[in-house]
Amino acid sequence: MAEAATIGDGRAAGWKKLRRRLAPWAPLLVLLALCIAIALVNGRFVSLRNFARIADAASIPLVLGLGVTFVILMGSIDLSMEGVVAFAAIILCLLVANGANANDFGLLGALAVLVIGAAMGFANGIVHVGLQIPSFMVTLGMWFVGIGIGNAILGGIQVRVNDPLIRALALEQFLGLKFQVWLALGALAVAWVVQEHTRLGRYIFAIGGGEDLARLSGIRTGLVRIATFTMAGVFYALAGIMAAAQQGSAFALIGGGRLFTAITAVVVGGTALWGGQGGVLNTLIGVLIVVVLANGMVLMGVSPYVQQIVQGLLIIAAVALSVDRMRAKLVK
Amino acid sequence: MHDIQTRIRAGYLDRRRFLSGTAMAGAASLVGFGPKSLRAQAKPTVVNSIRSLSNPYHATWNAGGEAFAKWAGAEYVTLVTEGDSEKGVADIKAIIARTGGDMVLNVDPNESPDARPIVEACEAAGVHVVTQWNKPDDLHPWDHDPYYVSHISFSGVPAGKAMAEALFAKMGGSGGIVALGGILSNTPAIERKKGLDEALAANPDVELLDFQTANWDPNKALELTNAWLTRFGDDIKGIWAANDGMGLAALEALRAEGMAGQVPVSGIDGIQLAVEAILAGEFAGTVAWDPFWQGGMGLSIGYHARTGAFDPSKEPREHREFYGTGIVVTEENAQEFYDNNIKASPELDFTDLWGRVAGQIQYG
Repeated sequence: MAEAATIGDGRAAGWKKLRRRLAPWAPLLVLLALCIAIALVNGRFVSLRNFARIADAASIPLVLGLGVTFVILMGSIDLSMEGVVAFAAIILCLLVANGANANDFGLLGALAVLVIGAAMGFANGIVHVGLQIPSFMVTLGMWFVGIGIGNAILGGIQVRVNDPLIRALALEQFLGLKFQVWLALGALAVAWVVQEHTRLGRYIFAIGGGEDLARLSGIRTGLVRIATFTMAGVFYALAGIMAAAQQGSAFALIGGGRLFTAITAVVVGGTALWGGQGGVLNTLIGVLIVVVLANGMVLMGVSPYVQQIVQGLLIIAAVALSVDRMRAKLVK
Repeated sequence: MHDIQTRIRAGYLDRRRFLSGTAMAGAASLVGFGPKSLRAQAKPTVVNSIRSLSNPYHATWNAGGEAFAKWAGAEYVTLVTEGDSEKGVADIKAIIARTGGDMVLNVDPNESPDARPIVEACEAAGVHVVTQWNKPDDLHPWDHDPYYVSHISFSGVPAGKAMAEALFAKMGGSGGIVALGGILSNTPAIERKKGLDEALAANPDVELLDFQTANWDPNKALELTNAWLTRFGDDIKGIWAANDGMGLAALEALRAEGMAGQVPVSGIDGIQLAVEAILAGEFAGTVAWDPFWQGGMGLSIGYHARTGAFDPSKEPREHREFYGTGIVVTEENAQEFYDNNIKASPELDFTDLWGRVAGQIQYG
């Protein structure tokens, strides 16, 4: 009896060790398993053209995911992305050559949109830190503000983008990949540098690991928070530009459904919702898992209802697997 | 028809009759709400209640409402539900209280069950109400005389069928298609798909490769079309979409593959970009519901009932619950439609109340 228990404990300990060693690799293994499973069902999955399409489909969620990754690493959340994307896409449309007015500012217009994204993120940060309002509430408000201003400007119509430079992001390619994919990879590189090689990146992890400790060691956490939300806003605005390029037009609901995909991707990639764990490369893997799964389910002819259920289960399973129950003291 | 129009004009030209009409309405509102009835000689407020102003469809609806209010010289109010049924009903009750019941309501209820409390609130306050699109099957205007004037809907079946046929014609009559549906519990989505199914049954050379619901969402439609291009590749000869927004997104997915114009797409709703896409040879067609007419004429019907131009309880049932007429736009008439309805603001004869009645609504 006692012997059996010891063996059981030994096994459990071994399993724990294995799990700890495998945990960082779990998202990547899931992605590989997913690819193999889909390829076995439908051979068309494995083709350069399909991989290029997956890269295409992943580029906007990746840019959004990168922005929100930093916020989540601090243990906060940012729900404003759909509002920022809509507002950015609409302003972009109205600044570059378009079907509604005579403007033609080209790249200058795109630059202005990035500044607007930064301003919206800055507003998120300053209200969150200055007024001590939970990030959840502030950014929820900014979500509706963005869509509301978009509505006020457009009055519900859809405006076409005619600027060939902007459209080229979605229509032209370089080395077999659309320009938007290269742009997303560029954003990933920038995000990685910020995370690994800047003070801001280190401070973000410090805050996520324990804000009190970070503050005691002299980090001005308020400033870091404002900077992070501002940076996230720039990423969302960039995604807004890409969305307008892809749809060939802007409309108030152009951000629709993107929040769920982005947050799912971040969490599935292994970044912990309570902060301090994960990073931008995890987000890359997470985005690929979500996009490959969606692509694969259509390839396999899975019914649309089942697709939604699978995506919902995926996010719950990912969180369940990634929770370190030794650390979590309280579940709320 | 002619007779009614003459009576309406007479109602307008004859000041005494006009005043007596509003005075009666004022007296009705006196029952529950005192002070506002003192303004009985003023025109009733005209109110549109719609889902939101963030889609072209309802924005045009609102423009039609504004045009009618200008025509009638009445105060105009727009309420938006933002997809929230409770907000929709509560806002309507609030505006009834503010106007003391001296108003006309033209409402696109957020969901079918909402129509009942809306109609009951209107009846209690003596407000003339016209509903559009959504109401429970067992709620009828003639059970709430005279305040529940009419219910207007559009059958999606002929629209879905006409678009499928326009698409098949542009494809040369054979080949595979994929189809993007709306939210499947939504009546227009179900009817439009039924129309597609009927057209498919009549055209055995056309094969439906896959049908997916994109929930009226352009982003989802673009994503689905991309995955289809992998799954079916060049077997896709046409794309049928249950509305223009999804169809335009599918078109952009094709454009990214250099296939725009080669694979025709069809939509429904008649928004500007869809008509432009028909002119560019990329869209096979769309059906315009003319939301301008819905927003303007819905108010006009209620307004003329309130001002005594006609008595709802004496109207035939096909004026109380009817299908409006959708305009099929294809290559042939796209330019004309564009010039008359998009470049210029549509001109409506607001006294032609029943000119677009396409039959009494059928259930089941």
